[in-house]
Amino acid sequence: MQSSRVPRVAFTLVPLLALISFACFVYPFFVISPFRRQGPRELRAALFVAQIGPWLSILCAVACIALVIYAWPGLRGWVRRSGSILCILIALLGAVLTRLNLYEQMLFHPIRGPQFEAAAHAKIDADDMVLAVRIHNASRAYPIREIAYHHVVNDTLAGVPIAATY
Amino acid sequence: MWKRSAKGIVFTFHLAGINNQNFLMRDDETGTYWQQISGRAISGPLAGTQLDPVYSDELTFALWRHEAPDGTVLKSVPRDSGQYEAKDWDAHMASVPTVLSFPATGIASRELMLGVAAFGASRAYPVSRILSEKLVEDRVGTEPILLVVGPDDTSIRVFRACWRTCEAAPEYYRQTANLDGSNALAPLFMDSATGSQWAFNGCAVSGQLAGRCLEPVPALKDYWFDWRNYHPETTVFRR
Repeated sequence: MQSSRVPRVAFTLVPLLALISFACFVYPFFVISPFRRQGPRELRAALFVAQIGPWLSILCAVACIALVIYAWPGLRGWVRRSGSILCILIALLGAVLTRLNLYEQMLFHPIRGPQFEAAAHAKIDADDMVLAVRIHNASRAYPIREIAYHHVVNDTLAGVPIAATY
Repeated sequence: MWKRSAKGIVFTFHLAGINNQNFLMRDDETGTYWQQISGRAISGPLAGTQLDPVYSDELTFALWRHEAPDGTVLKSVPRDSGQYEAKDWDAHMASVPTVLSFPATGIASRELMLGVAAFGASRAYPVSRILSEKLVEDRVGTEPILLVVGPDDTSIRVFRACWRTCEAAPEYYRQTANLDGSNALAPLFMDSATGSQWAFNGCAVSGQLAGRCLEPVPALKDYWFDWRNYHPETTVFRR
């Protein structure tokens, strides 16, 4: 017969693992958000969590699932069992969200494989501002109204890899 | 504008967050986080690494096209073009709140500045002031510099004011009438020392120094709060 200690341990650890997994997403997302002031220490902490989060959250989710499976026979009542399932879902949600770049997927789409056209064919108003660069004998312009949305364009000009940022 | 390579790695950057309204980039290759305005890695395996800047200008398209008729232009992305900024986006941004402010400076957080960080010093020039004066001679650190508004009355470039080592730069005078706003190569200003006439690209087109070019100085158009946050030692041009 399974020890009664197992469900108690599981009852404590499972929600904790779920919270850690979800916090791996929530903490950086909250700290590194627009219209919020970032202090240097909290930014450092948030970036650290953002970097370890994908792996930590997966470990927590796997541990959460394993614990629930192991403790399942001892989990009596629909409250405990459905609570455990909920914890697994929260842990998995954290593991998924830490792998998404919401800034690019929800806010500002990236440019994958930028395309260019000759200056003579560009349909841009004469008074529109461009960010202009010249490397060796090659010139390129990035309309500011476009890169202000995309924020960064990974490009190569005259063989030199450059990042146009705005 | 940055060279996107360092330590033998060519980076692919993505928008990855924001730090006091200046955005963070993250590279695919190492997962390092970089600050957009400074090009410095602030977290991750390459923390402390500095990207090399690439000289760039903010110009009107007409002026740039005249200067670089063989140049190429970034195409818009059709699925995103509906979200690109409107023509008057500067005016709209002026009313967007900031998370940082420096009230003791008496300068509005969203005042547009042309920031110059060179020669061991940093200095901010109110864009409206430069556009109004058309040509400004000043010093950054120990170096005399020249800020010139283009024939389009919108674009601004910064040059070292001397074409050779000097302690006192010559005086410059900018033409104000009969300018072709899209011609970047026509005479725009002249120097008092030789009477040579210079175009907006900083090269003399006539006179004793014809063919000689002034050295461009990198400058960044930025909001005051952002420039001040990353250049706490900056001075401000006031006249």
